[in-house]
Amino acid sequence: MASECIVIGAGPAGLTAAHELLRLGLPVRVLERDTQVGGIARTVEYGGARFDIGGHRFFTQVPWVQAWWEERLGADFLRRPRRSRILYRGRLFDYPLRPVNALLGLGPVEALRIGASYLRAQLAPAREERSFEDWVSRRFGRRMYEIFFKTYTEKVWGMPCSEIGADWAAQRIRNLDLLTAVREALLPRRGADVVSLIEEFHYPRLGPGMMWERVQAELEAAGVPVRLGVAVERVVHRDGRVLAVEVRDADGRPERIEGSHFLSSMPLRDLVRALSPAPPAPVAAAAERLRYRDFLTVGLIVERAALFADNWIYVHEPEVRVGRIQNFGRWSPDMAPGPARSAIGLEYFVQEGDELWSLPDAALVALATRECSALGLVRADEISDGVVIRMPKAYPVYDAAYRESLARIRGYLEGFPNLQPIGRNGQHRYNNQDHSMVTGAHAARNLAGAALPVWDVNVDASYHEAGDRAVPGPVAPPRLVALLEQAFARYDPVALGTALGAVASVGLFAASALLLLRGGEVVGPNLALLGHYLPGFGMTWPRAALGALEAGGLGFAIGYALARLLNLLVGLQLRSLRRRLERLQAIRATGGELP
Amino acid sequence: MSAKRPAELSAEEWALVEGAIARLRAGVLAATGALAGGVGLALATLWLVVQGGDPVGPHLGLLANYFPGYTVTGRGVAVGFLYGALSGALAGGAFGWIYNRVAALRSRPRGTP
Repeated sequence: MASECIVIGAGPAGLTAAHELLRLGLPVRVLERDTQVGGIARTVEYGGARFDIGGHRFFTQVPWVQAWWEERLGADFLRRPRRSRILYRGRLFDYPLRPVNALLGLGPVEALRIGASYLRAQLAPAREERSFEDWVSRRFGRRMYEIFFKTYTEKVWGMPCSEIGADWAAQRIRNLDLLTAVREALLPRRGADVVSLIEEFHYPRLGPGMMWERVQAELEAAGVPVRLGVAVERVVHRDGRVLAVEVRDADGRPERIEGSHFLSSMPLRDLVRALSPAPPAPVAAAAERLRYRDFLTVGLIVERAALFADNWIYVHEPEVRVGRIQNFGRWSPDMAPGPARSAIGLEYFVQEGDELWSLPDAALVALATRECSALGLVRADEISDGVVIRMPKAYPVYDAAYRESLARIRGYLEGFPNLQPIGRNGQHRYNNQDHSMVTGAHAARNLAGAALPVWDVNVDASYHEAGDRAVPGPVAPPRLVALLEQAFARYDPVALGTALGAVASVGLFAASALLLLRGGEVVGPNLALLGHYLPGFGMTWPRAALGALEAGGLGFAIGYALARLLNLLVGLQLRSLRRRLERLQAIRATGGELP
Repeated sequence: MSAKRPAELSAEEWALVEGAIARLRAGVLAATGALAGGVGLALATLWLVVQGGDPVGPHLGLLANYFPGYTVTGRGVAVGFLYGALSGALAGGAFGWIYNRVAALRSRPRGTP
């Protein structure tokens, strides 16, 4: 049996794993389906320009990853300023959002509408915050949500914000709300931690692909084969061990490659499909349920030196399909095709095989040119060339079924001790580049005897960069406990008493004051009859005040007693429910027989 | 009175159910108050108008002190409905709003700003 480790995929996870295996002195071979390394972190060269697949800020909280990057890139590891803005109605707004900037930019009428909608959200908040839409509208008002959150989020994830769970909003936006943000903008507290805004980031001079091309070169120089254009078609296993992979190279030649260990960063769904013999039907079905969001970039070469000051712009205009525009020269000047030209990437969030994905390249370049021009960023006659880069399975989708499906697949794959899934698609987890690297390194070290967690990387909150790369989950179905809480909630006696007391007190004082102000020979003889019940109450200012106090006290007492009474009734209902539940359990426990 | 909890819920979840504090919907209370106030005053006025007499409803008519233009007449039924609805909405809305604020303050964990 071959003692070589086979790494499937030459993205950050696969190449880090291979590099680590090389360091540990273990034989390794890398197989990559694409014709270049880097996976989604590759950089595509076209017409003298370099285009990334999305934006790749190099940021990590894992010290060895940071050191690893610095060691590989040295002086080519640039520190770049970050600027990103939102394009809406032809105007650019700072992102992360700065409320004062947003309100000023939108104009007084829109600012008033935002203010009114925020006020409404505060006075009559939604009872439940189940969706992204509920959560954001509650904190920013409906209008601000529609302008700055709805369009882009729906473009990216291809699902309505009302179907995205509120947890994701809480993770991304943290404790921020409109009022806090405005207050922070006007009166910044020292050391205030509203949301992590990373003003600078590291970036390789020639894009992230530069990093992975260097790693490829290092591996090849040390004798590790990194084979490109090799697609894994079958993963052959027997008796709980993977024996080999059957591949087809770029020329269509089949080949069987045996190995002792296999680290796979190929999409989990494809891995399960490739298993031979096929896995049990429930596992195969679980794999088929995994969903992905795909992505395409239309790279355009612009005959103008300076375009805009942003690294990227979020496009919130609902009239265009483009979701985000990268300005690669702002990421690194060496990404541009020359000093007098620029390179931009228009990003479209799509589903593989949908109408946009299937358009011919020329039509996509024409669409991107039209949209860029319509947005007023670049004139159509300034665009001299374009290229289309399609990236299938760019984002794993966390839908209602994914967690259960993933658990089933993981449980099955753990039956193969010599197979470790790694990386973003390998684990169906929205890892950053650094998290993917950690999974690869952990898997490699495990082959040398370590017992490091591979699946649990990026689960720990400390790995996250302010929730910036979290993936939305679906709206959670109502939980039993939440329904019960609602049904059996008690009234707060003090609150009910205070409310009733306040309304009674203010009401009586207002009624008295009106009559007192109007004056007359005999002031409010009928209202004064209340003095029978409120001793001291009468139609003079001091007596009216005394009466109001008494009415407040009486109202409080009635409200308090009412709440106690209602709570007693609710408590009796709850006890009855508890008895019924216990009886049901007893029936279940005895297999249907009454005890 | 914490009886044995059923196994459907964990101890923490059961404690949540037992400790849940109701919130009122101020908007719904305002609407209910408006309906009750409006219909109540309109019906009270209509009842006296139908009964007739001289004078008609002298005591209810005192509400004109607070509701300018209100009289115990056929026209007063409509005017009374509007005034009753407005007052009911104000009282209901204020009641719900104050309750929710006080309940939120009291349920805030100690040490929370």
